[in-house]
Amino acid sequence: MRIVILGAGQVGGSLAEYLVGEGNDVTVVDCDNPRLQALQDKFDLRVVCGQASHPRVLRQAGVDDVDMLVAVTSSDEINMVACQVARRLFRVPKTIARVRESDYLAQEDALFGPEGFPVDVLISPEALVTRRLEHLLTYAGALQVLDFAQGRVQLVAVRAGYGGALVGREIAEQRRLAPGRDARVVAIFRRDRALMPRGDTVVEEGDEVFFISSRQDSREIMHLMRPQDRPYRRVMIAGGGNIGARLAGDIQAQFRVKVVECSLPRCEVLSQQLRQTTVLHGEATDPDLLTEEGIAGIDAFLAVTNDDEANIMASMLAARLGARTVITLINNRVYVDLIQGGPIDIAISPQQSTIGALLTYVRRGDVVAVHALRRGAAEAIEAVAHGDRDSSRVVGRRIGELALPAGTLLGAIIRGEEVMVAHDDVEIAAEDHVILFVADKRAVKQVEKLFQVGLGFF
Amino acid sequence: MQILAQLLTPERTLCRASGSSKKKLFETLAELIARDRSELSQSEVFTQLVARERLGSTGLGGGIAIPHCRIPGCQEPLAALVSLEEPIDFDAPDDMAVDLLCVLLVPDQAHQEHLDILARIARLFSQGAFCESLRDADSNDKLFRAATEWADEG
Repeated sequence: MRIVILGAGQVGGSLAEYLVGEGNDVTVVDCDNPRLQALQDKFDLRVVCGQASHPRVLRQAGVDDVDMLVAVTSSDEINMVACQVARRLFRVPKTIARVRESDYLAQEDALFGPEGFPVDVLISPEALVTRRLEHLLTYAGALQVLDFAQGRVQLVAVRAGYGGALVGREIAEQRRLAPGRDARVVAIFRRDRALMPRGDTVVEEGDEVFFISSRQDSREIMHLMRPQDRPYRRVMIAGGGNIGARLAGDIQAQFRVKVVECSLPRCEVLSQQLRQTTVLHGEATDPDLLTEEGIAGIDAFLAVTNDDEANIMASMLAARLGARTVITLINNRVYVDLIQGGPIDIAISPQQSTIGALLTYVRRGDVVAVHALRRGAAEAIEAVAHGDRDSSRVVGRRIGELALPAGTLLGAIIRGEEVMVAHDDVEIAAEDHVILFVADKRAVKQVEKLFQVGLGFF
Repeated sequence: MQILAQLLTPERTLCRASGSSKKKLFETLAELIARDRSELSQSEVFTQLVARERLGSTGLGGGIAIPHCRIPGCQEPLAALVSLEEPIDFDAPDDMAVDLLCVLLVPDQAHQEHLDILARIARLFSQGAFCESLRDADSNDKLFRAATEWADEG
């Protein structure tokens, strides 16, 4: 595919790396020349220096020939106008823009509908991250909870712990231990190495287990892997910016929420906005403040400022002072690799969430959701099967018959309203939504191929 | 009657077009068709071709592609034929760049007949000598005649 990426920042750069790695023809536009040169030195791509929304710059970037434009500059306005220019002047078939400002997003239908900015896909990292944080708070003990099919199916990652009913037993026993519930374990990472789970694989303490199940069943299946964690009640959020405020607003009815914010004017705004939340003025890296506010009794501490270092320091401090679970927002990929598994329980990268969302649209075939996992090494994909036995390689075949690449497993199938856990004897029908786990992203290309229709599909 | 003789017109035949990308090429094809058939909208044809292509490449291999889709408002099946000056990347199954394209548009209602037409076109293009005669043609008129006067459907 030919793709132009506007913005060579963290997300633009990582996305370019992914796409080049998959053999796409990529051009990156930015007004920061040294940054572009650095990208060009590392990867096989073209760069154009200039203001990303200017028609002249876009033409120079070859927008007239591209299949897709991804606008991820740091400015919402440039992203929106660039999509406008790309569609109206160059008829680019697919436009994707990152828009952060919640004031724009609140008017999404009017601003980005048929009469508005021609943005086919709006990506809001803050919204993505907030949703993920909310999930983590609802599922105490989960490392990751990702939605498919509008939340009807979930992929859950959990650390197997002593006392979990399935720990020390074969995966196949799950049906006996949780009668009436069903799930498919799609991956196990044991000491950071991926295992291909089979029915007779024994779950060990410390394993990172990924399973796919319907939303109704996910909680019970999770508790087979580790003793039931006490639900979270008290939540402390460090940072009252976009994400902190949004998260507090969404959860303040279910949890007892405290927000720590260092700017006094911002605190005043927050305390107006968040009626059921305690807003505290101060630094989240101040041990006295944390102790006074009862950090030892906090179930979940979330550091969500826009400063990685501050988030990490505050989180480590909170963990030391006794917070039960510590969740930290980290933008820098290098840090994410470094810290997870230490005193910080869960590191969340907005960048990774954004890239996952973007990958949905570069995947060939009818792919409706992608989540990048394990820092991009693995992927979970929701694809739609089309065609018939002749024009498709999946429709009309049993799951056991599919030529899946190594490390790839089917987790679930959604057929109309019905959710089915993927067992080998289930036959795939046209229009089924299929959830797959790809343990090694190098196999993604083969998975894409599998779901593409043949020539005889209209 | 040979299938392209039924579906193709000289107006929808374009010889040695220059197009630097798949996207440009779909624009050219949509324009060619919409100019000839005023009841079809250029942007609709473009959008539908792109949408179908996304679900899987219509490349046949050997430098040939048969992009096709259903079009609301299309009364009967019709074809357009384009040969390219320079082959372009098309994500074909054999990874070969494409320089001959035969577009097939059919009415919105799916029909076995349309599959048969597609199969006949594919058979026609599976003959090496036929494709060579199309590649040799150096004008729209010669291309049209080479495509429609070839008797053997294979």
